[in-house]
Amino acid sequence: MRRPGLTAAMLWPALIIMAPLLLGPLFALAQESLKPYVGGRIGGDDAGALTLDNYALIAAPEYVRYFLDTFRVGLISSGLALALGFPMAHFIVRRARPATRRVLIGGLVGTLFLSLIVRVYAISMTFGPLGPLSGFSRLFGIRSNSPDGAELMVVLGLMNTTLPLVALTLIGTLQNINPRLEEAAMSLGAPRWKTFFLVTVAMSVPGILSAGIIAYAFCISNLVVPMLVGRGFILFVSNLIYSRFSDVANFPGGAALSIVMMVISVSLFYGLLHLVRSNWQEAGK
Amino acid sequence: MSMTRRAFNRAALNGTGLAATSALTGGLILPANAAERLLVVQWGANWIEVSKQITADFNKTNDTQIAWELHSGGSAAVIAKIKAVWPNTQYNVLSVWDPVFRTLIKEDWLVPIDESIVTNLATIPDQFIQKNDKGQKMTVPLSTAGAFWGYREDLLPGGFDSVEDLLRPEFKGKLCVPYPINLTGLFIVSCAIQRGGSEKNAEPGWEFIKELASKGQIGEICTSNSEYINAMATGQYSVGFWNNGGWFATAKNFPVKLKNRMPDNKGFLYNEGFCVLKGSPEKAAFEFANFFAEPKMNELYNINLGSGPTQPSAKTNPMLVDWYYKPDELAKYAYFADFAYLSSVMNEWNARWEREIVPLVRRG
Repeated sequence: MRRPGLTAAMLWPALIIMAPLLLGPLFALAQESLKPYVGGRIGGDDAGALTLDNYALIAAPEYVRYFLDTFRVGLISSGLALALGFPMAHFIVRRARPATRRVLIGGLVGTLFLSLIVRVYAISMTFGPLGPLSGFSRLFGIRSNSPDGAELMVVLGLMNTTLPLVALTLIGTLQNINPRLEEAAMSLGAPRWKTFFLVTVAMSVPGILSAGIIAYAFCISNLVVPMLVGRGFILFVSNLIYSRFSDVANFPGGAALSIVMMVISVSLFYGLLHLVRSNWQEAGK
Repeated sequence: MSMTRRAFNRAALNGTGLAATSALTGGLILPANAAERLLVVQWGANWIEVSKQITADFNKTNDTQIAWELHSGGSAAVIAKIKAVWPNTQYNVLSVWDPVFRTLIKEDWLVPIDESIVTNLATIPDQFIQKNDKGQKMTVPLSTAGAFWGYREDLLPGGFDSVEDLLRPEFKGKLCVPYPINLTGLFIVSCAIQRGGSEKNAEPGWEFIKELASKGQIGEICTSNSEYINAMATGQYSVGFWNNGGWFATAKNFPVKLKNRMPDNKGFLYNEGFCVLKGSPEKAAFEFANFFAEPKMNELYNINLGSGPTQPSAKTNPMLVDWYYKPDELAKYAYFADFAYLSSVMNEWNARWEREIVPLVRRG
């Protein structure tokens, strides 16, 4: 028996705790972003009049490029994670024997426990200019010690981190698709590839998009990967924010960048979620 | 001598009372005498290794517990962490360098050094010690350090005679340089000096860096000592501009030639050391700083770091014979940057780097 009143009441304690924890810092960030900053000071000038200068500074075309770089590299990395994660999840759900399935799922979960730094340095040592697989970048016509080589390292680093997340999410999606639908398609004469794309993939679209959104959110908000393997050539917006808060104590500048990044990201994700809901809401059922 | 049972009991009770009183006043219970705990912020790599070694000696005679935290990236990053919680910071002693000392003093976050406890400060040259507006001594300088150009001789047998040579095609992708915030912009100042400028006339430096960046000479922009040491140790890059600590760590394993006596450029000198934040257990913090400033410890500290000692009686690492300048060379080769000015333009330089240099290096 459903008791909506009780459910709502159970939500309140979490809301009461979370609202100030989430909204309070956001409000403080927004307020800081409007304070004037004087070079050499620590943080904004509390006595100065509020200003939009911090936003005007990051409206320069050079900063637009940092935003575009962040979203572009994030899109490539999460796209690759999806492209590799889907077949992996499909194999685990549909093809693998129970023992193999257990090993593979255990491996995917296990990688989530591995430190991001360890993984990123391992990639750098393996695929970097002096690594045993330094020739890997040449497959794409890229010199490993060039700026594009640094971007490739960032893409690999992000993909390595998001691939297990994507695969595990898609395992859940694929498990919810009744295999009899695929069998029915094939028994009606559909070839295997057509069944795969028109039944399995089509019905997985909401899951694919959800996994993609999770991976994308992880990628564009990442600080560590571009910092460690970007060699100072690939800087995400997070890196710009970090240097303002951490290194030059320009809190207002960092806060303005954070607010802009948050507004763009939230708009993007709500747009994508709307797209998923309006077009594929029924597909998975 | 005879003793009654009552007298015996009274004596026993008195004795027990006395013992209990002495135990209490002897510090078994009183918190005032409990071991103090200090949280010290230090750089990684060689800094933390030698600091732990010296602290082990310190703890043989002093029961103050020392916990360590490492700087993340440049030491200026600790300022934002303190600012966020001030005055409730958990840090007690900071190991930083001149520009960060200036900022901390300006914010009035430091305790003046108590020379009755830090007795070793008396033998450290006065010009090394940072003071506040009242002339009070605020720091315990432990090292004379520097930032210099240099290269790995095994990878680059011919080397280079002038920083201008680094524009030549054979240096494409070979340079490892600091992010402008690291070393408080000294890389930009060095490039400015190369073209006749200074920290207050940095434009020639920016032009030179733009040339380096657009020709693809810059192979990596590092943000920490560890990153620099790794980059040079792997042999990925052969030329760089960094502090003596990064060069020293590289020189332990590879032949390194410092270019600190070029006719058209300068080497930068500054001090590193300890300061004590307000709200700390001052006596314990000063005792700790004083132990590091002892000539013997100062020698050990700097021999391991590849820095110059601040105690005149401490010996310098023989590897560093040519790294620092003799008194008569100072005017010709050494440069003492105006860190107060550099701190005031760091934000502007950082933004300019993002706007003008990164897009150029990005294009390769």
